[in-house]
Amino acid sequence: MRNFKFLSLILAVVLCAVAFVSCGEANYAAENTEYVIGVSGPLTGPAAVYGVAVQNSAQMAVDEINAAGGLNGTMFKFVATDDMHDPTKVATNYASMYEGGMQVSLGTVTTAPGLEYKNLSKDDNVFFLTPSASGDDIPGGGNGFQMCFADGNQGKVAAAFVNENCKEEAVGVFYKSDDPYSKGIYDQFAANLDETIKTTVTTFTAANETDFSTQIDTLKNCTFIFMPTYYDPASIFMTQAKDILAADAVYYGCDGFDGIDSKEGFDINAIPQKVSMLSHFNSKAEEGMAAEFIAKYVEKYGKDTLNQFGASAYDCVYAIYYAMEKAIADGKEIPVTISASDLCDILKDMFANGYELEEGVTGENIKWESNGYVNKAAIQYVIKDAGLPEAEAEVEAEAEVVAE
Amino acid sequence: MELLVSTIVNGLSIGSIYAMIALGYTMVYGIAKMLNFAHGDVIMVGAYAIYVFLAYVNPLFAILLAVVFCLLLGVTIEKVAYRPLRGASPLAVLITAIGVSYLLQSLAQIVFGSASKMVMVYDFGAIKLFGVTLQVSTLVTLAVAVVVMIALTLFVKLTRTGRAMIAVSEDKGAAQLMGINVNKIITITFAIGSSLAALAGLFYLLKAPSVSSTLGAMPGIKAFTAAVIGGIGSIPGAMLGGLLLGFVECIATKITVIAPYTDAIEFSILIVILLVRPTGFLGKKRREKV
Amino acid sequence: MKSLKRINYSHYINYVVIAVFTMVFSAISLAGGRLDSSLLFLFEKMAISIILAVSLSVVVGFLGELSLGHAGFMCVGAYMGGKLSVVLEPVLGNAVPNLLISLVAGGIVAAICGFIIGMPALRLRGDYLAIVTLAFGEIVRSIFLNSSDETFGGTLGLDTPRFDKKYLFIFAFLMVLLTLLIVQNFIRSKHGRAVTAIRDNEIAARACGINVTKYKLLAFIISAFFAGIAGVLYSFSNYTVQSASFDYNYSIEILVMVVLGGMGNINGAIVSATLITFLNTKLATVLTGDLAVLQNLIYALILIVIVIYNNAPALKSFRDTHNISLFIKKLVRSKHDPASIKDDAAKWDVVPTKIEMNEILSIDMKPQNLGSDKPSKGGDK
Repeated sequence: MRNFKFLSLILAVVLCAVAFVSCGEANYAAENTEYVIGVSGPLTGPAAVYGVAVQNSAQMAVDEINAAGGLNGTMFKFVATDDMHDPTKVATNYASMYEGGMQVSLGTVTTAPGLEYKNLSKDDNVFFLTPSASGDDIPGGGNGFQMCFADGNQGKVAAAFVNENCKEEAVGVFYKSDDPYSKGIYDQFAANLDETIKTTVTTFTAANETDFSTQIDTLKNCTFIFMPTYYDPASIFMTQAKDILAADAVYYGCDGFDGIDSKEGFDINAIPQKVSMLSHFNSKAEEGMAAEFIAKYVEKYGKDTLNQFGASAYDCVYAIYYAMEKAIADGKEIPVTISASDLCDILKDMFANGYELEEGVTGENIKWESNGYVNKAAIQYVIKDAGLPEAEAEVEAEAEVVAE
Repeated sequence: MELLVSTIVNGLSIGSIYAMIALGYTMVYGIAKMLNFAHGDVIMVGAYAIYVFLAYVNPLFAILLAVVFCLLLGVTIEKVAYRPLRGASPLAVLITAIGVSYLLQSLAQIVFGSASKMVMVYDFGAIKLFGVTLQVSTLVTLAVAVVVMIALTLFVKLTRTGRAMIAVSEDKGAAQLMGINVNKIITITFAIGSSLAALAGLFYLLKAPSVSSTLGAMPGIKAFTAAVIGGIGSIPGAMLGGLLLGFVECIATKITVIAPYTDAIEFSILIVILLVRPTGFLGKKRREKV
Repeated sequence: MKSLKRINYSHYINYVVIAVFTMVFSAISLAGGRLDSSLLFLFEKMAISIILAVSLSVVVGFLGELSLGHAGFMCVGAYMGGKLSVVLEPVLGNAVPNLLISLVAGGIVAAICGFIIGMPALRLRGDYLAIVTLAFGEIVRSIFLNSSDETFGGTLGLDTPRFDKKYLFIFAFLMVLLTLLIVQNFIRSKHGRAVTAIRDNEIAARACGINVTKYKLLAFIISAFFAGIAGVLYSFSNYTVQSASFDYNYSIEILVMVVLGGMGNINGAIVSATLITFLNTKLATVLTGDLAVLQNLIYALILIVIVIYNNAPALKSFRDTHNISLFIKKLVRSKHDPASIKDDAAKWDVVPTKIEMNEILSIDMKPQNLGSDKPSKGGDK
């Protein structure tokens, strides 16, 4: 009896195991009837608004492409999985998408899971073009490219701006010390700032996002405040500080600021101070692709989740689509069942060698460096009467950042 | 002088909201003897309720409706998720509380979406004090917290129901024998605790007028910390713990070098206090007997 | 005499199941069969969860103290083991010796932390101890988060070598077996009985001559050691170790595994750790896109329903007539089999636990309870 039970146990495990083993070389896309694009992002939890924006916008782009007949008649399919902004969840998401036939991906929405994703995708040679994982280390594997500016570069551009324009100002910095995005920008900002400019620095953490009275008190004499944070804490800071800081003070943010003027219930005009930011997407654009994108997005999903993450994801999908179209025009074969690795070889060759997205929501003539950084114009958007020169600062993707 | 005033003012500003949340936390703990991990999420629901009702009625009515809504929610949660486990291991209740917390967060995201929303309830403005700006809402929060603290203490000490609560917290079995309806008393406790959570949601919005589905998580943990520092179960202790935590956070944030370690410092102080006074500042020390 | 000497198979069934499972899949993997990455990742996660759940159940289930900081010990193990493996990589390569040395080192550092956090446990009770462990977890996280880029990588985390995924799960399950071996033998020894005696009544245990200090610390150290090992396995199964992953939510997830498995029931902890990991993975891969928001909703509902089913006093008779083991028994044994009679002695470690939060323990010492208790032989002479 006992022997029988033991044997049946072993037999059951073996049978299970055999069911899991697959044979032959891997091409999980062999059965595809559509090209599959995947992304892993925070669809729930505190960062959900960014993941949802990417999901909506990418889906919108894919729907548009399909409505226009797809790529030579082959449709696209878009899959978004939820990583809750947690690096431990990303391996499962990646594996399920990859084995589900994903051929090309948008990587991750945020940096922390992205650090895991870039290695996973490198092992299998899967191409990704991330809309918003802006960490300096995200590209660099050869298979990964960014649509957003890398954090370090944003910090450098901001420092250059401050060096030039704020010699007379009392400069303050307000950043989130436990967030890779915020700290990544600040570190490069501090490293590239002129020594003559003295800054007052104050920080907060995820656990203390309620009350900024202490930070405001520290910064109360500053007239120029650099805030490399996301718009949510920034909007709370501005509301709490509106009577305390000088009315002509300037808030200067990076692309995380985006969305601050579309946050429901937040009237940016009730803030006496001026607000300005460095970004690649103008949420108030009235002409061009950006305006079209905004109109379409708001009609479909509402104003709530409209932000540069989505705009960037929309561009990512089109960049990949046009690249595939161009590759076919150049005589490459991209059947619908192409393996992720083969498609990656085609795409990374193009992206690293001067492929250009001529017109996008987040800029024109978007190109990529061979190390994966994007090369496009960063625009100084004045959200609210900042009184600053509307200089267009060119962001140079610098190679040495990768080397470090 | 200015530094001192600003420390006091900012510390009060942070601490008052912790104290307000901790009051509800400690109330439920003191009577029902359970860690209500869902308390922070009831605060979140309260904040959303205010956001919804504000669209229809004036602020005062909106607050009132939100309090009633949270009261009903708290009682429902108690009935559905906690009451069936009365008499089971306290850990089982802890796990359902965590389940309720996840449930409320998911529901909030499904109903209200992922984007946070600004909710301006009322702007009290600010006053200047020795060159330091003090938000009037801080004073209002503090005043209400003190009033609530006194009212709760009096309620527990003087009314019949309050004394029944003490009896239940001391010994459920004996209380039952004395003719106290233990279930009813615990339901009342949750009703009070949840209405306090709605009030906490209100003061949270007065301070940081932004509401999202994860709003309650971190303040919940902070309030738990504050309640433990003060001696969990003690009503004045919650107030004391909240304010102390506020001052610690304020001082740590002010010093740039240690600011990133603010959370670590707060929790270290908690550990030190507990090592010196194992039941917090005002916690009842119970002698163990055989 | 013969019946006394007979080996109680039910004590060893968990080793057998896990060992058979590991052997079969390692054979496939070593023979060059291709296992999908998703399956391998799932195995790694399951093994790590099992180690965490079993090690936490030493403190929660057997010592009866509530710990909300288990992820903190894991974090220490992951960072220390991960750092060591980075340092050793140029010398030993990303191979087995590196893995083993890192495992031991990570476990030991975590055990030292367990010793440190066990100290307040001697003075504090119930929820006060719970918040201290929670605080410990957050402090550890905060320290690693604010480390410099050169030491532990700061906010971006530490880049660690990832062990070949084809083979890592074998080592992970070997570690599960090791954990079981040590934890089960500890629990079934006189030391384990001393620990459960402290859980059931500390004062009585002390009166019986049990060295409460020693056993409390020992339980914390063993628990932390294996959490550290789970952490090192985590660092080898990921390319980065980021402190943000080890927040109190993770500790709570481990606690859920222990509580659902039944307090003080190691096999239960193993089963629930496996099932919860599987459930979470399935929810994440099935509910994608717009449905992702349902993940937590479903998880929460399952949690509430199971806990109420398992624990509600009012549902006791319902449980007795509708439960899985009864269902399986009906399937396996059609006729009445004398072997199916519950052997209480074999299940002695499945006792309802008692974390009476900060309450007087006097009720347990009623004369009738006391009478049947034999003084424990554990402790100092």
